[in-house]
Order: sequence, then C-alpha cells, then structure tokens
Amino acid sequence: MLKVGILGAGTMGKTHAVSYNSLPEVEIRGIVDRDEGAGQDLAGQYKAHSYKSIEELLEKEEVDIIDICLPTPFHKENVFKAAQASKDILCEKPIARNLKDAQEMVKRCAEKKVKFMIAQVLRFFPEYIAAKEIISSGKIGKPAVVRTSRGASFPLGADDWYGDKDLSGGVILDMIIHDFDFLRWCFGEVKRVYTKSLLNKGLERIDYALVTLRFSSGVIAHVEGSWAYPQGTPFRQRLEVAGTKGLLEVDLGKSSPYTMYLKQEEGAKAGVVIPEVPLSEDPYTREIKHFVECVKSDTLPSILPEDGVRAVEIALAALESVKTGRAVEVEKGEVKS
Amino acid sequence: MKVAIISFAHMHANSYARCLGKIEGVELVSIADEDVKRGEKKAREFRTKYYQDYQEMLKKESPEAVIITSANAKHKDIALSCANSGKHILCEKPIATTLEDAKAMLSACLENEVIYQQAFPLRYSPPVNIIKKQVEQGTIGKVLAIKGTNHGVMPDPQEHPFFTDKSLSGGGAVMDHTVHVVDLMRWITGSEVREVYAEVDQLLHDNIDIDDCGILSLEFENEVFATLDPSWSRPKSFPTWGDLKLDFIGDKGVIFMDAFAQNISLYSDLDGRVFWNFWGDDLDLLMVRDFIDTVANKANPKVTGFDGLKALEVALAAYKSAEKGESVKIKNQR
Repeated sequence: MLKVGILGAGTMGKTHAVSYNSLPEVEIRGIVDRDEGAGQDLAGQYKAHSYKSIEELLEKEEVDIIDICLPTPFHKENVFKAAQASKDILCEKPIARNLKDAQEMVKRCAEKKVKFMIAQVLRFFPEYIAAKEIISSGKIGKPAVVRTSRGASFPLGADDWYGDKDLSGGVILDMIIHDFDFLRWCFGEVKRVYTKSLLNKGLERIDYALVTLRFSSGVIAHVEGSWAYPQGTPFRQRLEVAGTKGLLEVDLGKSSPYTMYLKQEEGAKAGVVIPEVPLSEDPYTREIKHFVECVKSDTLPSILPEDGVRAVEIALAALESVKTGRAVEVEKGEVKS
Repeated sequence: MKVAIISFAHMHANSYARCLGKIEGVELVSIADEDVKRGEKKAREFRTKYYQDYQEMLKKESPEAVIITSANAKHKDIALSCANSGKHILCEKPIATTLEDAKAMLSACLENEVIYQQAFPLRYSPPVNIIKKQVEQGTIGKVLAIKGTNHGVMPDPQEHPFFTDKSLSGGGAVMDHTVHVVDLMRWITGSEVREVYAEVDQLLHDNIDIDDCGILSLEFENEVFATLDPSWSRPKSFPTWGDLKLDFIGDKGVIFMDAFAQNISLYSDLDGRVFWNFWGDDLDLLMVRDFIDTVANKANPKVTGFDGLKALEVALAAYKSAEKGESVKIKNQR
C-alpha cells in the first residue's frame, strides 16, 4: 500500500484526491491546508487526517508520496521539504514562478534521489495523445501551422492569488503552460516567442494572451489563453494542426457527449474551472496512476523534471515579450528571470 | 448601366460576372483579358464580347463602370486607364502590391472624379454587421483584444497561377488574406494599426515558391491588440474553402464570430468526402449591387481606396517584420 499526503485542499487537491482514492493500492493519509475547515472537509471524505503544515504531516504520517496542489509561490519550499524527507513528489504546474527556483527544485530532487514529476496533465488527455499519434503517423504530412486555445472565466483561488499576476504569472504562466508543454512534446524546442497580452494594462480580474511561437523545426504555433470569459462560459480547449498533407482538429466544445444548463443560483461563485472529460478513467486519474506506478516500480516518470522547467521557460519568454514588446529568443538564453 | 470586367486572372471574376447578371438594368458589356483562350471562353460563358486589349475595350465599349480582377500587380495600370477615361472602378483586393501604386491609383481616381470601391465583400456580411453594431453599442464593454483567422485552401497554381507568382501577386497567403481581416478590424474598432509583428514562411506547399502561412500580431492606435492567421492551411480535403473568424474580447463580455458558419454538412457517397455548403447571404451579390447603386447615385463608396491602402500597408509591414525579425511601426495620420 502506497501512502500519499496531499498539500492543498483546493480544486486540484480535491481532483487529485478523487483519483488517488480510485486506486486500490493507494491510501490518502493526510491533507494539508492552512484553512483547517477545508483540510478537514477533504480529509474527512477519505478517512484521512488533516494537518496545518507539511512538517506536521511528515511528523505524524509515514507517506511515500507528497502531492503539491498549492499556489505556485508555495511550490519550491514544499518541494524542498518533501525532498529532504525523501518523499517522491508530484507537483502541480507550473513548476515555479521563475527559472532559478525551477532549476533549484530539479537539482534538489536529483540530489535527494526522489522522483519529481510536474503535473502537465494535458499529456494524459486521450484526445491530445491521439493527436500526437496522428501527427507522428504522417497522416497530416509535415506539421506547419498549429493553433491552440484554452479559455475560461477568471479563476478564483485562495486569497485571490490568481489575481496577483506577480504571484501567478497570469494566464500565460498558469494556463497556457499546458499548451506550451504539449507543443514542445510534439514539435521540440521553441526558438522565438512573441506575445501580446492584457498583463500590463492595469486591468483587474481579466487576462488574455495571444502568443506566437516559432519552433527550431520551423513550425509556427499560435497559442491563445483566456481568463476573459464571463462566469458560466464553458471551458474552451482547442488544438488544430495543419500540415503539408492534412489538418487535425481537437475541440472540447465539439466533443462534449452531453450538455447541461442550470438556472444560476444567486450569489453562486465559480472557483477554478477545469475541463470535464467523461471517460471511464479521467486524465487526472491516468496521470496519477502513472506516477504511482513509477513510484511502485521505481521507474522514471514519462514527464521529466526538465520538461516542467522548459515549459516555464517558454512562458517566461512570453511574459518578457509582453513587457518589452519584442520577440524573445529562447535558444539564445535571453530568458533569464 | 454598361459594366465591363477586366481580366479573369482572379477567380472572383466569375462570381462578379454572375452577380452582374442578376442585377436588373445592368449589362456585362464586355470582358477584356490578355489571355485569349480564357477571355474567349469567359465571354462565351457570360454571353458578352471579348477584347484582348482592355484599352481598346474601354474606348469602343465605353462602359460606365469596370470591375478589375487582374493579377494584383496589374491593378495600377488598369485602374489608371479606367480613371483617366472616366470609368468608375470596383477593384479586387489587395488594392495593389506597393503603396506607391495604391497612391497613384487613388490620385488618378480623385483627379478624374471617378468612384473607386475596394472589393471587401465581408463588409456586407450580415453577421459581421451585427457584430459591428454590438461592439459599437458597447455590449461587450471596451474591446481589449481580437483574434482573427482567414484560412484558405491554396489557390491552384495551374488554374490561377498569379497567386503564387510573387512578381504578379506581391506575396502569397499573407498578401492574399491579411487585407480582409485587417479591413474588418479597422472598420469595427474604428482604429488604425500602428505596429505589426509577423512570422511568415512557406511550410505547407512545396510546389510553389511563395509564403503560404504566417501569424500576424497587431497593435491598434486605441491599444487593442490582435492576431490574425492568413495561412493557406486548409488541405484540399477540407469541407469548404476556408474560414473567416473573429473573437472579440471585451471587458464586459466576449463575442465569437464565424462569418461562414451558415452551412449544411453534406455527406454524400457521390462526393466521397464531406462538404459544408454555405446557405448564408451571397456577399459578392450584396457588394456588386451596392457598387452599381453607388455608381448610379454618384454616391460615396462604402469601402474606399483608402481602406484598401491601409489594409495593404499592414500586409506589407508583415513581410517587412518577418524579414527583420522584429515589429514594424506604421505611421497614421491623426
């Protein structure tokens, strides 16, 4: 039996808890949240204990895995503490707010010889896996122009941390990092980034970014990220790859097996919206199952720590481009922060 | 009203000829085309006279108005001849291949007091007009950003060779498709583009030697930013010719527009592939009809040569940006 401690009882903590609970060989032992009520609620559902800090969890429970579902600024210190205690670590994306932290985290985990996987969950969405396989099959020829979209209403997290763009990095670092990682997985390294966004426009609770990526392979990708939709707008997730022999399109809106509309209750508040994918085993569970299997069999997770760092590097290049109004060369190491 | 068409190099000439046939009181008086075979065939098809030399046609047939659908680079000489002989002009986009040519065309029309209308049929699209009204009424608040696409299948190099011949077209996909979207963005926001960044390349087709894809990033004078994708990235098996989509991001809401969404999906074993058959308004007919009315009433054209020039300016800036690897500024009159 593998024992897991989850840090954070927010949207992702809850989602991951459901997944761990569905695996017979895993036991959720502890939930850490500084909001005791939230921690107890979630812990209660899985006959686990709730703790106020990772220290308390590590002291009271013998866990094998620490799963970090906390806001980005808390990733580094908790990765360090978990690594120090020799726990294998699954950490939500993005790995960190800056490259220095990200690299230190990777280094520390390597030194402590613990597994460290960033939850770039798009790699476990069957439609994205299928798209990658089609691209590799040559059915659409050589890939050329790629378009992705990812959009929801503005997320409401603890202390409204998403609203503080210095902490969250806005839609570019928190949201379309999924697409950056997926595109890099399919098309290799990014050479150049140009971006326009609402980041520096002094607007509250709205973010929107249009990113152009040029890959070393020549592929041009357009990545749209939106936290600009009104509450209640369905999650938008789209991928289009045009190649020399064809085109493929993945569109969440066109592949939803059912739609449900409910009367809005007054004062109803949305938290963080994540795409719902009705499958016998949802992508989050596939992701967690993979990590659990790697821990059990002592093998390397398919997402390397370096992948998490590279995705952040692309996002930081995009942020830099927004700031300077210029194209940013990733390969030349222009991305420093 | 006597109307002539000069050149069938651009396939839109076929549609415009059909439209003229549907408008009462209008006669397609002749077709001029330097390509004898094509010109004679089209003259037969549309039951009108054929001239190889458009100058001769202008003199002998004296049409009141002319539709120019030649290769882009030839717009200027033809437009100048038309203007100097007092003919009103509806000219295919892009207006020309250089700003100098475009300016020469506009001055000639101004001097000779002839109407010059730029053929931007999307201006007549009912969905586009509804969206424009919604944006102007502030329904989605202040517009902050726009995302546009005008994808297409590459024009067949055998059938319509000028599109992929840079000396005649001035550029490939970016030249061909940028102008439509930029025109709509300018028209709907009422603001001019002041900065352009673009990635432009030839990645999709190897039987040509011209750009076939790109992504443009634009910044407008009113701080709105936008991207647009003019790529010839639809494969031959795509259910339709392409698309024109615009997303408007406002501070009070968003609009997702697909100007050609009014389709029937057709699955026929006779075709062996899926087709989307458009049932929305015939935009070319609305446009040509409006041009005829404008000429009849000596009115101001709905879409001007200046509009054509400003759209071309952005396409040219995109090429320049791609060449330099940095953004290019555009100076606008205040």
